[in-house]
Amino acid sequence: MNTNQNTTATEEFIDPLHNYEPRSYHNTLEQALSEEPVAAIQARPYTSISPQATVAEAIKLLATRHVSCALVEEEGKLVGIFTDRDLLNKVALESELLTHPVHEVMTKNPVFVHDTDSSGAALCVMAVVGHRHVPVLDSNQRIVGIVTPQRITSFLLGHADA
Amino acid sequence: MGLKENMRSDPVSRLNLRDPVVASESSSVREGIQRMRERGLGCVIVIDDQRRPLGILNEGMLRQMLSVNPAVIEAPIRDYMSTSARWVRLTDPVVQVLRAMQNENTRFVGVVDDDGRLAGLTGQKGLMEYVADHFPEQVSVQRIGQSTHYAQREGA
Repeated sequence: MNTNQNTTATEEFIDPLHNYEPRSYHNTLEQALSEEPVAAIQARPYTSISPQATVAEAIKLLATRHVSCALVEEEGKLVGIFTDRDLLNKVALESELLTHPVHEVMTKNPVFVHDTDSSGAALCVMAVVGHRHVPVLDSNQRIVGIVTPQRITSFLLGHADA
Repeated sequence: MGLKENMRSDPVSRLNLRDPVVASESSSVREGIQRMRERGLGCVIVIDDQRRPLGILNEGMLRQMLSVNPAVIEAPIRDYMSTSARWVRLTDPVVQVLRAMQNENTRFVGVVDDDGRLAGLTGQKGLMEYVADHFPEQVSVQRIGQSTHYAQREGA
């Protein structure tokens, strides 16, 4: 009895994915942007600074490391970013701010992506919001790294020239 | 064709070029900064009276200068501009912009016409918009301290 029932069930089974067709891509670049996570772009190393550090210390840190963005981090959590654009727009002509804490001039509420998002999604966020530096967080909202213009250029060029 | 092939065949003029911030050689760094702020751009291109580019000063160069001497803003821009910048032509393929950005380690690339005159500005923003055109038009935007929202790409 049981055997007959099992046989019938097997014969009537229809694979719910029988109509599924994997997405096709024109080339490896499109596939990489759609399927590879943000981590594939390279998010490390990153530069971070305390919100209490002075603006002068933040500028010196960026200059010493030749990077254009520092993540402002407090107890492992992202609270803001300080970029070349902040320097240009808020500090370059206001030398009196050099002794102020960096949290006064940083960009608060920065846009971020999760490390599991697709790399294409990260690029689209950059295109929509206009930010060039996008912090990468894990599912616990802890800092994983940052996607920078140089890293995206290398990623795109690596696939475009492949 | 796909993105990869398009990048090799589409001309730079296909990108959404921006009107560059320009200055003359006699301008000061301060004037350059003020113009960049007014226009919301991160570089100023120094041109001659024929609108041919002579050099570029960008926010990254500014960072390095200010870290050493904040008073440098009163100096002539010609003393601090980079004269080794690589310009791309309107007719070059889009992938040439990528190569220029990587070779120069910059996110701004000046675009010239066939006569070598400055015709526009592109770089990472233009490229991101170009790449994003190949993806769905709705984008999830997440900000620290705020809930996720969905934004529509311009021109999508």
